[in-house]
This record gives sequence, structure tokens and C-alpha cells, in this order.
Amino acid sequence: MKRIAIVEDEVAIRENYKEVLQQQGYSVQAYANRPMAMQAFSTRLPDLAIIDIGLGDEIDGGFTLCQSLRAMSSNLPIIFLTARDSDFDTVCGLRLGADDYLSKDVSFPHLIARLAALFRRSDLQGTESDEESLLERDQLVIDVNRMQVYWSKTAIELTVTEFWMVHALAKRPGHVRNRQELMQEAKIFVDDSTITSHVKRIRKKFQALDANFDCIDTVYGMGYRWDPQG
Amino acid sequence: MSTLFKHFSGLKERVLTFHPPIGLRSKVGILSLFLLCLPWLGYQYVWEMEKYLRYGQEKTLEGTTQALATALHERPNLFDIQASFLTQVEQGRDLYAYQLAGPIQLDGKLNDWALYRHRSINYGHGHQIFKHDVQAPLNISFNHMVGKYGGYLYAFFEVTDPSVIYRGSNSLKIDVNDHLAIATLAPDGKFKRYIIATQKDGWVSSYELPADPQKRMPVTPELKIQGKWLKTETGYNVEIRLPLEMVGSKLGFAIYDVNDKKTRRLDAIVGTSAIDDVENLGTVLVPSPEIESIIKGMSHNSSRIWVVDKHGRVLAKSGDIRTSNSVWTRTVQDKPDDSFWARFKRDYLHRFYYKILTTPPKDFIDSLQDSTVLEGSHIKNALSGKQGSTWRLTPDNKAVILAAASPIWIDDKVMGVVIAEETTHGIRTLRNKALEKLFNVILTIMSMGTLSLFFFASSISSRIRKLRDEAEEAIDSQGRIRKTILGSEVRDEIGDLSRSFSSIVSRLGQYTHYLENMSSRLSHELRTPVAVVRSSLEHLSLQHLDPDTRKYVDRAEEGVSRLNMILNNMSEATRLEESLSNAENDIFPLSKVISGCMQGYQLTYPEKQFVVSITDEPLTMTGVPEYIAQLMDKLIANAMEFSNEGTPITVTLEMKHRQAELVVSNFGPILPDKMAEQIFESMVSVRQQKAQDKPHLGLGLYIARLITDFHEGTIKARNLTVENKPSSQELALSGVEIIVSLPYIKDK
Repeated sequence: MKRIAIVEDEVAIRENYKEVLQQQGYSVQAYANRPMAMQAFSTRLPDLAIIDIGLGDEIDGGFTLCQSLRAMSSNLPIIFLTARDSDFDTVCGLRLGADDYLSKDVSFPHLIARLAALFRRSDLQGTESDEESLLERDQLVIDVNRMQVYWSKTAIELTVTEFWMVHALAKRPGHVRNRQELMQEAKIFVDDSTITSHVKRIRKKFQALDANFDCIDTVYGMGYRWDPQG
Repeated sequence: MSTLFKHFSGLKERVLTFHPPIGLRSKVGILSLFLLCLPWLGYQYVWEMEKYLRYGQEKTLEGTTQALATALHERPNLFDIQASFLTQVEQGRDLYAYQLAGPIQLDGKLNDWALYRHRSINYGHGHQIFKHDVQAPLNISFNHMVGKYGGYLYAFFEVTDPSVIYRGSNSLKIDVNDHLAIATLAPDGKFKRYIIATQKDGWVSSYELPADPQKRMPVTPELKIQGKWLKTETGYNVEIRLPLEMVGSKLGFAIYDVNDKKTRRLDAIVGTSAIDDVENLGTVLVPSPEIESIIKGMSHNSSRIWVVDKHGRVLAKSGDIRTSNSVWTRTVQDKPDDSFWARFKRDYLHRFYYKILTTPPKDFIDSLQDSTVLEGSHIKNALSGKQGSTWRLTPDNKAVILAAASPIWIDDKVMGVVIAEETTHGIRTLRNKALEKLFNVILTIMSMGTLSLFFFASSISSRIRKLRDEAEEAIDSQGRIRKTILGSEVRDEIGDLSRSFSSIVSRLGQYTHYLENMSSRLSHELRTPVAVVRSSLEHLSLQHLDPDTRKYVDRAEEGVSRLNMILNNMSEATRLEESLSNAENDIFPLSKVISGCMQGYQLTYPEKQFVVSITDEPLTMTGVPEYIAQLMDKLIANAMEFSNEGTPITVTLEMKHRQAELVVSNFGPILPDKMAEQIFESMVSVRQQKAQDKPHLGLGLYIARLITDFHEGTIKARNLTVENKPSSQELALSGVEIIVSLPYIKDK
């Protein structure tokens, strides 16, 4: 049974999520603030952590907690589930090593799907890749089962959202995917500018590896498409 | 009284509220005009100084005359041979021997006298000494004057006599014909009489008469008296000379007229004075060589010096007033200087100064140039025993002459006067020099003062202008803080003002920031309770509910999702503002973005008709294409919402006035009056309340404006009315167009 830890200072939300997740068959531990959570984590790490950013008196308590957790384990999946939806917070959270950043208006099914995806990835890490689930586009290789993306055989660390976006684009090269489609594929419901910033981050991650990377093409006003290079 | 008071207070108010539109710099300029008082003060000062200089000159000149008078005091021998002891002199009777410029040629033609002719006196009826027949008219008269040159006394007589009777060729008598008689009191005190008679024109013969005035015989020839007799058309001329040592202080001339050749009776005697007695003789004044030699020592002096007797007749004179260099002038002679400053002064400043100042003229009319009799209050004063001085103007008003006079005393009696004269040229030169220096100093002070005042005012006004510009730029027309004011470091009142402005703006900025963040914070704060409601509702819906309960849960879920959408909208603007502030600019073709967008809309809204007209120019611009697309989204969304059923939405992009102009127009309800500006404000909507299926916060056009502002463009809305349409259709075809102007980079 997977163990999920929820760190959330709002009792009603905490309990709601806890119950939903328990119904889904997870073992859930809920903590109201960072010290309590840290105390529990120091004895045993959960399989996945859902963290709010503002924790009681600590405005950025979630960020601190995320850092501490990442220090303890490099492959523990961490999801931010927060009311804060500014670009800055999103970027900050993802940079600190979180795997996903969800806004509190996310629906239960959505949340559960994301959790499942994360678990699936962490489960698959280390196991042999299944040939059939591989998607190959020139230098790009997407291992859907392990939710891994390789560029010129080098793995690129993408968040789950980013992974699904790359997947959506690369699935049908040359086809323009508008923002709405991308949101559906990535299973997120945020506004257009968030999509834009996700695309920017994806490009940066690829460009960090290959400065000449320009496979993600902006079709002004419509969306993005995977442009097979050459 | 009350009306009067009202009137007065109204006037006062008006006076107080009158503010002429003059800048600080002009005001300081006007105030600095008071610097112009400086030259006036300086001029007054120099004027005062000149007064003292004149006083000084007066005293110096009086001193000079006094010194000379001292040399002449108590020396009666200089005076007693003259007629100085007379109480009064009579014109014509008392003769004055003019100093002649050169010797007279004794030829009877009188040409040599031309220079002096104006001084000759006409002797006629008034000078008649004897008349044989009192009834008969006097037909004789003569012009006469005496002069002195080189030890001789010269005289001429221009006699008008209708019948000239010469001496008989063999007559012994010399007095029964026309002749000239001379009587003098010789220096040795003897009374001498001479007769000049001639037998024909030419050299005259003169004879001395016996001392006894009654006797006319015997006569002895006197050779020292020389002269010529020349007959003229009106009578005859006689020109004579006699050595000065023969002439004493008394002298008389008389013309004896004989008209009948037969009877040779004496008809009339006309003369300067009666010559038969010493007592009756007139005097003659010969300018004294002794005095002249005394005052000659003073000729090196700067002034012209006269010595006159107590009748004002000139005894001696030295110096020339015109060429004399006054002691004042000499002291201020500059050394020749050829430095730049000196040349500049000479060439520019002095030329300017001497438009105002007057240079003392070298040439002026001197009325006293060769006077024989001097008059004036100073002489009168001196004659009464006091020193005196006067100022007088030359007749041509060009020069002012100072004259000082001192009396010469002989035994408690004033026997003469020493007069010294000087022009005030020296003082004027001195004054001019002082004024030049003063003007130089004043010009320097004034220009420095005006310049420094000007710079001071400029710096103040520029600082105030800077502050004004900053204050104007700080807040835009929507009242939002655009820029903060940096408080000035200068510790004065303007610095204080700038600092307080800075703190006002920063406080206002904080407040505006608080207001601006209101919606995002509100949405953030609301999100958690919404999440609570939402997650709870989701829980509920997961349960097996009866249809009635399910209905309410569905409604509640719908309400929550609308609330959620409102929250998203609310934070969208704030998020956009945040991301705009750290957006990375790209260079992209605007036309391509717009046409791409339009293709998307045509796909997304297949039921809507779009009329698209996009220029072929790429219209390259700097910015973020995603934002431009977002702007298009908002504009199209707005146009879609307001457009009537079945009407197209027109989108045009063209170059206009060096800007890319994007126009999105739709047919539908028009904007209410005065709302054209406000629809771009946050949370302003002019939408009619009907047909609200989606929450609407009026943020769409606000976001459009944020993006336009970010790209340094302008956005405005305008009502659109299509003319030349039947009135029934007009309503249907009226609408709104939104015009976005964006700057683009010009292609080469």
C-alpha cells in the first residue's frame, strides 16, 4: 500500500483529500504544519508528499519542507498543491525539485491521475523499458512507461506536466496543438500563459543539452507543434 | 460703506490674484535690472568727486594768482608811469597801445593795420576841441589807433577832410595848414609838444614846439618821429612811429584842420584830448615790459596769466589757454600699453564710453584771445580787494574756463589784478578716466552679477522644472504610479519639496499597490475556502445520492466552478502584470502573429464570419508574441460578445502614421457616452445585464491595455456608425471598433 503524506494547514481541505485518497486505497498521513511533518519524515519517509506552500505561520513553509525532503531523498515524488498560482511561485516550486505543481482548484480525478502517473514513474524507475512504449523522433526518445524523455540518448528531467506536453507535441510531429489540446493532454487546467511558460521551460531544458534545439515551433496565436529538425 | 469695502476687497483680491506668466528666470532678470543703479551711483560719486576737483583747481589757481600778486605788491614803479592812478579811463581819450604782431611799414597805406582795424576809434564831433565857427558843420573826422612793437609806438590817422591844405612851400609857419599835433608827458616829467606838417605827400617832418603852451614858435625839427603822409580820396592818411622812451604815461593827438588856402584860418581841432596842457592830456597805456618779464617766469605754468591795471586794461599776458597742459592732465597721462585688455578697452569699450562722455575739445573759441580790457565778477572782486574766481563757458559751449583773480596792493590801494585762467579740461580728462575705470568695474560687476544671478535662477528653475516633470511623470492619466520620484540630496527648500514629493509618491505607490493587489490577494484568500467547498462537493458527488440531492449538489458545483473561474480571471490580470514585468522581448513579425491568430479563430468559431485584411508588410516589432496573441484573444472575445447575430467581425492590420494599426470592429451595441476611456480599466464593464452565462469582470480589455502599454502602444475604442444606410438598418449596423496602435521596427 502506497503511503502518501499531506502537509496542509487548512483542516477541511486536509481531511477532504485524506478521505478521497484513502478511498483510492492509499495510506494517508496528514500533518498540519512543517515541524510535525518533519518529525514524522525523519523517522520514515512516505512514498509521495503533497505539500501546501503556506503552512500556518510560515508563508513559504512548503518550499522549506520541499528542500528538506529533496535533501533526504532524490526520488521521492513531491507535489505542490496550493492556492498560490503566480508564475513566480510555480517556477520557484518546480525549481526546488517538486515533481508537480497543482492549483487547489484541481479536481479529485485529476489529482488522482497525477498521483498515479507519478507513482507509475517512480515504480518504473530502474526496470527494463518496454520496447513498445517507446516513441522515437530522430534524437528524441520518449519512454511513456517510465515517463522518461531522452534527447540524443541523454535523459532530460521533466516534470509530469512537461512530460505530457512533450509527449502530446511529439506524438504527431508537424501538427499544431493549440493550448486547449495541450492542457487536455497534460491533464491540467490553467490559463494560456501558464502553458506558454511551461513551453518555455521545456525549451530551456532541451537547450541546456543542445544549444541548437528548436524542435518546438510556435505557431503564433494558435499553439505549438513538434518540428522534426532538418 | 459696505459697498465701498466690498469694492475695495474685490480690488484687493484681484490684485492679489494677478499672476503674470513670467518664469523665474525672467523675474530674476527683471530684479537684476536694479544692478543698473550701480552706474548711476558711480556717476553720482564721480560727479561729486569732480566738484571737489574743481574746488581744488579753483584754490590752486587762486594760489597761483596770489603768488604772482605777491611778486608785484608794493612796486609802484611798475604802475606809476602808467595811467593806473586815474580813477577812471575814458574810451578814446585814454589810449591803449596794442601789442602789434610785427613792424608796420610806414607807407600811409594802412594795409598793415588790417588785423587791428576793428580796434581803431573814430574821432569826430564828440572829440571836437576847437571850432572857429560854431554854427558851421564839422566836416573833419578821423580813425585812429596806437600800437606797440619793438620799442616803438606806432599810430595811424585816417583823416576825412574834404580839403587838404598842405604847408606852403616857402612858408615858415607850420601851423597854418592841416597838421597833426602830439603832446606827451615825457618819462623825465617834461611836457613836450610836436607838430607834424608836410608840404606834400611822403615822409613827414616833425617839429618840436616850445614848452610854453602859448608859444608856437620857434620850432626845432624832431627826427625821431617818423612817418608818411598820403592823400586819399576822402582826405589823407598819416602813419607815424616814435620811440617808446619819448612817450610817457600821458599822450594826446590832435588833428588841426585848415580849409581856406588863402586865409589859412584854423577852422577846427579834433583830437584824442586837449593837448595844450599837461592836465588835459589823455593817458596812454603801453603794456608793461617789466611786468611781462616778471610773469614770463610763470609762462611755464599751465595757466594763462594776465596782469591788468585797475581799469581792467591788460598790462601783461603770458601763456596760452588752448595749448596749456594742465597739471591735472599731466598726472593722468597713461603709459602706452599694448596688452590685449588695453587694446580691447581702446577699441571697443572706449568707443562705447565716449558716446556718453565728452572728450575735452582741443579747439574752442577763446573770446579773450587778444583782449585788452578784461571784465568779470572775479576782477571786480579782486579790485575791491578780495580774491575771486569764476567759471565761464566759452561762447561755443565747448569748454569751461576757470578764472581766478588776486589784487595787487600798493599802499592799501588795489593797483591791479593778476588773473589766471585754465580750462577744466584736466579735470574733465581726470573725470573721464575715473568714469572709464568705474564703467569697467561696473560692467564687470554687472555682467558677473547678472550671469551668476542668471545661472542661479536657471539652476533653481531647472530643478523646479525637473521636479514638475518628475511629478507629472510619476502618475499617469489613470492615476497609477508610473515612476517613483528620487528625492533630491540638496539640503534646501527645493530639495525638501522634492523629498516630500518623493515620500508622497512612494506612499501613494504603496497604497496603489495595495489596491492593485487587492484582487489577487482576494482571489488567493478565496481560493482556499472555494477548495474546501469544492472538494467537499466532490466528495458528496462521489456518494450515491438520490436525484433530488444530486440536483442541489450539481447546482452547488456549478456555482463553485463559476466562482473558481472568477478567481482565475481575477488573478489572470495580476499574473499577467507580474509576468510582463520580467518578460523577455523577442523580435517577431506582427502580421504573422495576427494572421495566425485569425486562422485559429476561424477554426475555433466556424459559425462566426471574420472579415480579415492584413497588410503584406511583416511589421517587425519587439515584444512578446504570446502576449500579442493574448491581446488578440481578448479583443476577439470582446468583439464576439458584443457582436450581433449574423454580423461579421472585421479585423484589419495596416501601417498608419508610422505605427502598426490593428482595428477590431464589430456590429452591435455602441458604447455609452464617455465610456470609451473607462472600458480599459480593471473591473469596468458596460455589458448589459442580460445573457450572463459566464462570469464577467471586465478584465478582458484591461488585459488588452496592459499588453498594449507593455508594447508601448496605445489602445482606444470608438463608436462605429455606418452612414448611407436606411435608418431601419442603421441600428443594426452600428458598432464599436477598438484601435490598437503599436510601434514597429522599420525595415531597411
